[in-house]
Amino acid sequence: MVNYDEIGFKAGLEIHQQLDTHKLFCECPSVLRTDEPARIIKRRLHVVAGESGEIDEAAKFQAGGGKDYLYQAYDTTCLVEIDEEPPHEINKEALKVALEIALLMNCKIFPLSQIMRKTIVNGSVTSGFQRTVTIARDGFIETAEGKVGIDSIYLEEDSARPMGKNDQEVVYRLDRLGIPLVEISTRPDLKSPSHVKEAALKIGDILRSTKVRRGIGTIRQDLNVSIKGSNRVEIKGFQDPRIMEKCLELEVERQRSFTEKGKKNPAEVRNALPDGETEFLRPMPGAARMYPETDLPLLEISRDFINEVKKNLPKLKSEIEEELKNHGLSDEMVKMILKSGKLEDYKELYEVYGNPLLISKLLITFPKELARKNGKSVERVEKVISKDTLAFMLESVYREKIQEKDVKVVLEKVFSGVPVKEAVKLDKKDFADVEEKIMNLMKDKPGLSPNAYMGLIMREFKGSITGEEAMGIIRKFLK
Amino acid sequence: MEIEDNFGNLVEVEMGKEVYEGILLPSPKVGTFLLKLENGYDIGFNKKDVLKLRVLKKVTEGKKESALRPSGDKLDVAMIITGGTIAARLNPQKGGVDWLTSPDMLFRFYPEFFKNVNVKKVEVPFMKASEDMDYKDWQKIAKVTADLLNDPSINGIIITHGTDFLHYTSAALSFFLGNVNKPVVLTYSQRSVDRGSSDANLNLQASALAAISEIAEVMLVGHATTDDDFCYAMPGTKVRKLHTSRRDAFKVVNAEPYARIFSDKIQSLSHYHIRNKNKVEADTKFEEKVALVQVYPGQDPNVLDYYLNEGYKGIVLELSGLGHAPTSRARKGWTKKLAEVQKKGLIVCAAPQTIYGRLDPFVYTNGRELLETGMIYLEDMLPETAYVKLGWVLGHKEWASSKDKIKEKMLENFAGEINKRLIE
Repeated sequence: MVNYDEIGFKAGLEIHQQLDTHKLFCECPSVLRTDEPARIIKRRLHVVAGESGEIDEAAKFQAGGGKDYLYQAYDTTCLVEIDEEPPHEINKEALKVALEIALLMNCKIFPLSQIMRKTIVNGSVTSGFQRTVTIARDGFIETAEGKVGIDSIYLEEDSARPMGKNDQEVVYRLDRLGIPLVEISTRPDLKSPSHVKEAALKIGDILRSTKVRRGIGTIRQDLNVSIKGSNRVEIKGFQDPRIMEKCLELEVERQRSFTEKGKKNPAEVRNALPDGETEFLRPMPGAARMYPETDLPLLEISRDFINEVKKNLPKLKSEIEEELKNHGLSDEMVKMILKSGKLEDYKELYEVYGNPLLISKLLITFPKELARKNGKSVERVEKVISKDTLAFMLESVYREKIQEKDVKVVLEKVFSGVPVKEAVKLDKKDFADVEEKIMNLMKDKPGLSPNAYMGLIMREFKGSITGEEAMGIIRKFLK
Repeated sequence: MEIEDNFGNLVEVEMGKEVYEGILLPSPKVGTFLLKLENGYDIGFNKKDVLKLRVLKKVTEGKKESALRPSGDKLDVAMIITGGTIAARLNPQKGGVDWLTSPDMLFRFYPEFFKNVNVKKVEVPFMKASEDMDYKDWQKIAKVTADLLNDPSINGIIITHGTDFLHYTSAALSFFLGNVNKPVVLTYSQRSVDRGSSDANLNLQASALAAISEIAEVMLVGHATTDDDFCYAMPGTKVRKLHTSRRDAFKVVNAEPYARIFSDKIQSLSHYHIRNKNKVEADTKFEEKVALVQVYPGQDPNVLDYYLNEGYKGIVLELSGLGHAPTSRARKGWTKKLAEVQKKGLIVCAAPQTIYGRLDPFVYTNGRELLETGMIYLEDMLPETAYVKLGWVLGHKEWASSKDKIKEKMLENFAGEINKRLIE
């Protein structure tokens, strides 16, 4: 076992998380495309000296050396992504989410900050730089091994997606370019590979309580690691965070192989491989690659805005679970609401109509049932039955225009194409009436077997009710 | 003031409990300053919040050796640098703009520009944004250009310029210089020079090739499409800025480009004059009292009185469609007023506000009614080109004395400003 304390192990995390809003400097939606691009744009980049007159080492290394960059554009990208229009004002919603994250990590907000251009000339940004702004500093998160300092929080634009390359050309897809990213860098407070893992999970938990994108590729974790007497190395490109621990152990070994001989490993950026090994990626970038984004005014974050965000800070997942359970929802239902991403809808409807059980059924159970019954996907059902429809139905229940037990029938009618305002006017053949009629029928002829009742009912209601539904009602009254 | 004196220096600033270290920089916002932190980011503070400022390290300006070496196997060209985005570079240490006014400075940003040419002479008549220029600036550029055209050691001339009013300058040089003996290339950039994606890189490379080509014309060279693929060499009188921000903002209107220029070759596309040994004389006479006015629905024709009373000699009206303004059938008709001001001596010319296409006053009754007032219809001439030409024609006393002469000169094709055969 390596004694990490003894060898002066120092590690910090750098986490990049995509936000679930439109793009940072234009109004384009943050959607990734899998279809054919609408057009291809061909560009070249050249290396230029930074504001201090020097060319950044990392920039020099990346420069394509006369390569053509081909950019795949879509109807969901605009002139801003192809560097043909100045950036629009920074996305206020993304800024709000970034502030939430900063406050949840106990950071101090910079009231005045300049949006910067970070030189990147490998073609992954059409302009030749990435727009980035530091919004907060000096926070912390709690871990089992004590507080881990948060050094800085940045809000920046994501780069274009690499799609392939050969000797002359590199192909990028523009769909990802400009998606807001929050970058969180911790202090080098992490004491061991397992501590790194714990901190990464904790940060992930905080991020997921805010409006962030979910799924593969929406979060990227980089590591900064050094030991006593070594140069700091940045490791990027973890496809699987579970490999992090192993990777750190191997990197420590690698750095030790230098220090034990009295040498120093080069300060560089390395790429994580699937087996936990790393390979050289590029030199460490310096401050020379940063210069101001003069197309935008200074970013001012007012006291009022911070206070407004503070007042409505999102709760952590554990807190939300507790709150939903207090509404009387089952553990299972709470899990499903969180997993399906319906929490916002639930909260919105709950605030207006109360009735948590019916709302959870409307959002989760009924769409699933409808989908199964009609052989359609849940997404397809939800496309037809909008949140407005659900709100209208809850309103109708509240005003006693329909009864709670009728809600499912109304939903079915809406899904079959009946406008919701029509659907809530139930006629005789509708489910509620059916139930009443069956009850009367069974009262009239007591003592028959379920199958006998079934025959009578199916003859009476010809096709407006399924056998399964009829049997459900019969069973209910025979109990 | 302590803060202003230390721009560029590494300082420590104390503000209440907080202490920050960074390079002190000016801020675009009044009452504030910026600090460049160690990570390269700039953050802002109120000047009045500073309790203490300590200088940690003074800035030293290193002298940079020039890497630029003239070479014998390249052709010599001259450059005229006039300002604009292509020659401007933000200096965040001092605030404001650094102008790139020497080949050395240009070389740092655009080394590929020097691949095919030696920049033998550089003239800097002034440094301005193009929206701040007027005819006096055109006259200065024309005189400098004429001298360089008559210098046998110069193969061609590249003029860098802001984009906003670039097409006015290109039209002015076309009229002022007449038949040129060598290429006169105007070029620009829409993306600032600091970025790796700057369009100036290709525009300058193509301009270098244009300047040593056989095309003896005043031309504007810039991106043909959004791709960094090739540029067009566009006729100086038939070009207009048609986009606020795209690389290919300039389009040839009612004509064809002279050539398509890649970073390493030229393809001819239409007729142009060939390089020759004629002497060039700049004819820069210009009447300042001319105006360019767009006609819009419901506009009061009495605006014309203003120009008349202010001593204007001529006006170009941008008319609708085939050449119309509100007629006697309109609530505020222009017919009477147009006749009246022309009778009092104001020269009124008509150009199309549609930009594309040719005027024809004979098609509709309304056109014929307006034609009767004596207006000069300028065919397919661009309104901006028409404005420059009217100033130039009226600047010549020998022509300006008679309305017939003015009309004859306005319709004489001096520099390709009229195209009798529109094919698109």
